[in-house]
Amino acid sequence: MTLQKGWTRRHFVNSAATLSALLAAGGFRPTRAVAQSSPIELVHWSWLTASDGEVWAKMIDAFNEAHADKNVQIRMEVIPFEEYPLKVLASVATGQAPDFGWGTAGLNAKYAKEGVTVPLDDLVGEVGLDLADFSESALNASRYPQYDNQLFMVPMDLMSLQPEVNLDHVAEAGLDPAAFPEDGAGLLEWAKAMTVMNGDAVQRSGIMMTGSGVQPTVTWGIVAEQMGFRRASDDLKTAAVNPEAGKQAMEWVLGLFDQQKVSTRDVTDRYKAFGTGEGSIFWTGPWTLNGYVQQGLNFATYLFPNIGGEQRTYFEMGGLELYKQSDPGRHAATLEAVKWLSDNSFLWTTVGRGASPRTSILEREDYKTAGLPWDVRGAFVEGLDFATIGEIPVQNAPDFTIYSGDNFLAKTLEGVWINQTSIDEAMAKIQEKWQADLDAG
Amino acid sequence: MADAIPAKALLDRRIAGSSLTFRDLPIWLIGMAVVLIWAAPFVWMVSTSLKPVSEVMTREIEWLPRTVVWDNYLKVLDYPVVRWAINSVIVSVTATALCVVFGALAGYALARLRFPGRDTIFLIFLASIMVPAEITFVPMLIAMINVGWANSYQALILPTVANVFSVYIFRQFFLTFPSELEDAAIVDGAGRFQIFWRIAFPLARAPTIAATVIIFTLNWNNFLWPLLVTFEENMKTLAVGIAVFAPVVGSNTQLDTFGIGMAGVTLLSIPSLALFLFLQRYFIQGITSGSLKS
Amino acid sequence: MGAVAAPSATGPTADGRLPGAGGDAAFGTWHGGRIDWIGYVFVAFFAIPFMVFNIMPILFGIYVGFTDWSIIGTPNWVGLANFERAFADEWVWGAFANTLIYASMIVPGVTVLALVFALFVNQGWPLSGLARTLFFAPNVVSATVIGLIWVWILDTQFGIVNQYLAPIGVDAIPWLTNVTWSKIGVSIASIWWDLGLAFILFLAALQGVPTELYEAAEMDGASRFERFWYVTLPQIRPTLSMVVTLQLISTMRIFSQVYVMTNGGPAGSSASVIHYIYRTAISRYEMGYASAISMLLFVLILVVTLIQRFVLKERGHG
Repeated sequence: MTLQKGWTRRHFVNSAATLSALLAAGGFRPTRAVAQSSPIELVHWSWLTASDGEVWAKMIDAFNEAHADKNVQIRMEVIPFEEYPLKVLASVATGQAPDFGWGTAGLNAKYAKEGVTVPLDDLVGEVGLDLADFSESALNASRYPQYDNQLFMVPMDLMSLQPEVNLDHVAEAGLDPAAFPEDGAGLLEWAKAMTVMNGDAVQRSGIMMTGSGVQPTVTWGIVAEQMGFRRASDDLKTAAVNPEAGKQAMEWVLGLFDQQKVSTRDVTDRYKAFGTGEGSIFWTGPWTLNGYVQQGLNFATYLFPNIGGEQRTYFEMGGLELYKQSDPGRHAATLEAVKWLSDNSFLWTTVGRGASPRTSILEREDYKTAGLPWDVRGAFVEGLDFATIGEIPVQNAPDFTIYSGDNFLAKTLEGVWINQTSIDEAMAKIQEKWQADLDAG
Repeated sequence: MADAIPAKALLDRRIAGSSLTFRDLPIWLIGMAVVLIWAAPFVWMVSTSLKPVSEVMTREIEWLPRTVVWDNYLKVLDYPVVRWAINSVIVSVTATALCVVFGALAGYALARLRFPGRDTIFLIFLASIMVPAEITFVPMLIAMINVGWANSYQALILPTVANVFSVYIFRQFFLTFPSELEDAAIVDGAGRFQIFWRIAFPLARAPTIAATVIIFTLNWNNFLWPLLVTFEENMKTLAVGIAVFAPVVGSNTQLDTFGIGMAGVTLLSIPSLALFLFLQRYFIQGITSGSLKS
Repeated sequence: MGAVAAPSATGPTADGRLPGAGGDAAFGTWHGGRIDWIGYVFVAFFAIPFMVFNIMPILFGIYVGFTDWSIIGTPNWVGLANFERAFADEWVWGAFANTLIYASMIVPGVTVLALVFALFVNQGWPLSGLARTLFFAPNVVSATVIGLIWVWILDTQFGIVNQYLAPIGVDAIPWLTNVTWSKIGVSIASIWWDLGLAFILFLAALQGVPTELYEAAEMDGASRFERFWYVTLPQIRPTLSMVVTLQLISTMRIFSQVYVMTNGGPAGSSASVIHYIYRTAISRYEMGYASAISMLLFVLILVVTLIQRFVLKERGHG
C-alpha cells in the first residue's frame, strides 16, 4: 500500500466496492424513499414473525392511526432474523440505516462501540420518556458499562424461560397438576413418571431435549448458574467462575439422556415435538404461547424449579434501538415515536410477547386478564423475579449467550452431549475462550 | 397350435405391443418402483398442502388428505405472494434472457471467431465456477447500497446475468456448427453480427432451450442474494418470500404454518416444473447437441 | 482485462462488418489466420457483467482476506493472520473434512444412479417418458422445498423413511440428529435433488451412441453387461467425465441443503465449508476471516478437480 495511511483503507473499501457496481451504469437514485423534512416517515426494521409479528404490526398501525394528522408515520419492514445484523451494518456503513429496529439487550456492545446504535440518555430527557417507570433491571440490561454506561435501547418486553407442561401427560401419569415440583429431585420424579420408554430407549421425553442446539445449551446454562457457576465475574474481569459447578451441570444434562433416561436426543424440532405431544416438560419462552394455544395444546406453564441451589432462569429482553442517521435531527423524532410505542405497549406485553418492563402497565388491573389465560402466561410474568441469567455485555457477547444453537458455547458443549469431548476438556476450552473475550472488552 | 411355445420365445415375447419383453419385466417393475420413490416427496408436498391443520401431523403416514381443503393456499394469499411472483417473473425472465443472449454471443465468438486471448478468456470463465460466490455477496451488497441500488430490480438481475453455463453450452454447440452456412453468408458480404442474428442464433434452438431451462430454474430458485439485497416486503422474490413459511429447522414455533409452507413451496415449484414439462423434448435435444462433444 | 479493453482500442468498423476479404495487414494475424477483432465485441456483452459482478468482487474478496474487515470500521491489513487462524481452527478443519465426505458420498451416488436411471429410461419401455420427467423434476425445485420436505421425510420420530423401515426391523435412524448420520441424511436429500441434470446428460449421451455398435455387439453374442461395458461406457466417457467434474465442483460448494436441513448441526457434524463461511460472514460479519477460508476452499476445489480430471483421463487411455 503506497497510499497515505488513514485515508486509504476505508476509502479503498468503499470506492472499490462502489466502483464495481457503478461500472455497469451510474446515475440511479436510491429506491428507498429518503424521508423529507415534513412529513417525516420513520423507517423501522423488525425481525418479528408469526403471531409476534402480527401483534407488532398492530402496534405500528395504531401509531400511524394516532399520528395520521401529525406528520409522522412509521414504515415497517420485516427483515429476516438471520440477516438482520448484516443488513443493519451494511446500511449504517453506507449512511442509509433505518431509524430504529428491534434488538436484544446485552448482545450489541459492538454496535455501541462502532457507533451503529445511538446513545439515548440525552435524548430521553429531550422527549420526556419516563425512565422512573421502567424496572431497574430492565434499564441496567440496556446499558453497556464500557461505553459510559449509556442507555442504548428502550426496553419493550421481558422474557424468561419457564417450563410448559403437557397436561394430558400429567393426567396420564396420575400426577397432580397443581403440585409442579419445585426442586431437582421432584422434577426428575415427574419426568420419569411421564417418560414413555420403548425397551431401553426413551421414546417420548419426560423432559423435552434435543441432541444438540439450543435446548441442551440453555438447560446447561440455567442449571450451571443455579449451581453457582458464573460465566463472568461481576466486574467482567474473570471468566468461568466456579468451573466445578459448570462441570457438575454438564453431568446433570448428560444424565437426562443416559442415566435418568428421561430425554431422547433424537428430536429434530423441539417446538414441533412438544406441540405434537412428543415431550412432557419443555422449558421455553413466551413466544411459543400463541402458537400452542391456537393449536389447542392442553398445557400449563410453571415456575422454573430450583435444581442447583439457587432458583434462577434465563432472561432475555427485547427493545428498540436507534440507528445512526446521516441527519442526527431524526433521532429525536424517532425516540418520540419509540416513546409512544413504549407508553402504549399494553397490547404488546399482554397478547404479544413477554412481560412489561413498565410499572404503570404491570399495575393495571386488567393486565392479568388481557391476553392469554394466566395459567399459560402467568409464570412468564411472575417468574421474572428470578430470571437473572442475562447477557454478558462485552463485544463478544454472542459467545457467552446460553440461548444459542450454534455459537461458540453451543458448539463446544455439543461435543459433550454426544460424548465426544470430555467434560474437563470442554470446560477448559470455554474458560480459555471466554477469558480472551473478556480481555478484549 | 398344439406345439408348446419354447420358454425362450416366451421370454422374448413383447408385452402388449411395447418394446418390453417378459424377460425384462422384473427390471421394469423395479425401475418403476424407483420412479415411485422419486415421486414420493412431490406427492407428499402436494398432499400436505391440501390437508387441514389437524391432519398435517399424524402418527401414521397418510399419503392422501382425508378431506381436501384449500385453506393453506388461501392463507398463503394473505401475504403479498402475487407481488412476489411478479417480481420473480420480472427478475427471472430478464436475467435469463440477458444471460442466454450474452452467453450465445460469447459462446459463438469463443467457438467460431479467431482472436488472441480467446482460449484464456474461456479458461477464466470456467475457473470462476470454482470460486465460492457467497464471499462476493457482502462487498456487492455494500456496493449496491452505496450506489442506491439496494432493493431494486437491477440489483436482483445484474449479478446473475454472467452465468458461465450459458457460454459453455453455446460454445459446445457452435464448435460443431457447419461452417458452410456461414461461408455462404460471408460471400454475400454479411457482417458477423448479421450472420449471428440471421443464421447462427436461429439455428441454435436446442442449446437456447437447454440454457433457458437451466438458467431460468437457477434464477427462479435463487435465494441468498435476493434475500440479502431486498429490504422491503414488496421487493422480495417468491423464493425469498415463501421462505418465511419454511424457516430454518427448529426455529418455527407454530405447527399450523407447516401446511401453509407446503402450499407455498408447491406454488413456488409450479413455474419451473411447467417450463421443463413443456420444453423437455427440446431440452434433451439441446443437451445432446451441446455437451456430447465436450 | 485486455479482452474488454481491446475493442475500443482497435475498433471494428462501425457496423460490425469484417474487414475486407483477404485481410488487412493492419489487423494482424493469429495462429496463421486472420484475426476476428469483432470477437471481442461479441464476448464483451458477457464479459462486462462478468467482470463487474464476478471478477471484481472476487478480487476485492482476496484483498479483504488479508484484512480484519468486519463491515463497520476500517479494514486493517493483517497479513496472513486470517490464514493462520483458519489452520488453527478446529471447526474449519471439521468443515473441510465434512465437505470431502459429502463429495465422497454424493458424487458417486449421483453419477452411478443417474447412469443407471438413464440406461433404464433409454430402453424406451412403457412409461419411460414419465420416468424421465420424474427423474429430472427434483432438479428444478428450490432449497426451501428441500428443507421443508426432506426434514420431514427424514425426521427420526415422524419421518416417512423410519416408519417404513420399522416393520422390517430397523430401529429409528437419527438421520439428521446424530453426528454419524447427519451427513448421510443430507447426502440422501442431495442425491435426490442433484441427480436430474446428470441423468439428462447421460440420457442425451446414450441417445447419441450409434445403434450399429449395439447390433454388432449383439451379433457377437455379447451379454447386456458386456454391451454396456465395451460399447456404451467408452462411448459416453466424455459425458461421464463431465458429469463427475460438474458434480464434484457443485458438491464441494454444498450449502443450501445443509442450511435448510440441519444448519450444520448436530455438533457441527454436517457443516460444510460454505456453511461455515456463511456463518462467519453473514452472522458474525468477520469478512476478512470468511474471505480467507473461501480462498482455501477455492484452492481445494481446484486441486481436487485437477486430480479427478487426471484420474479419469488416465483411465480413458488404459
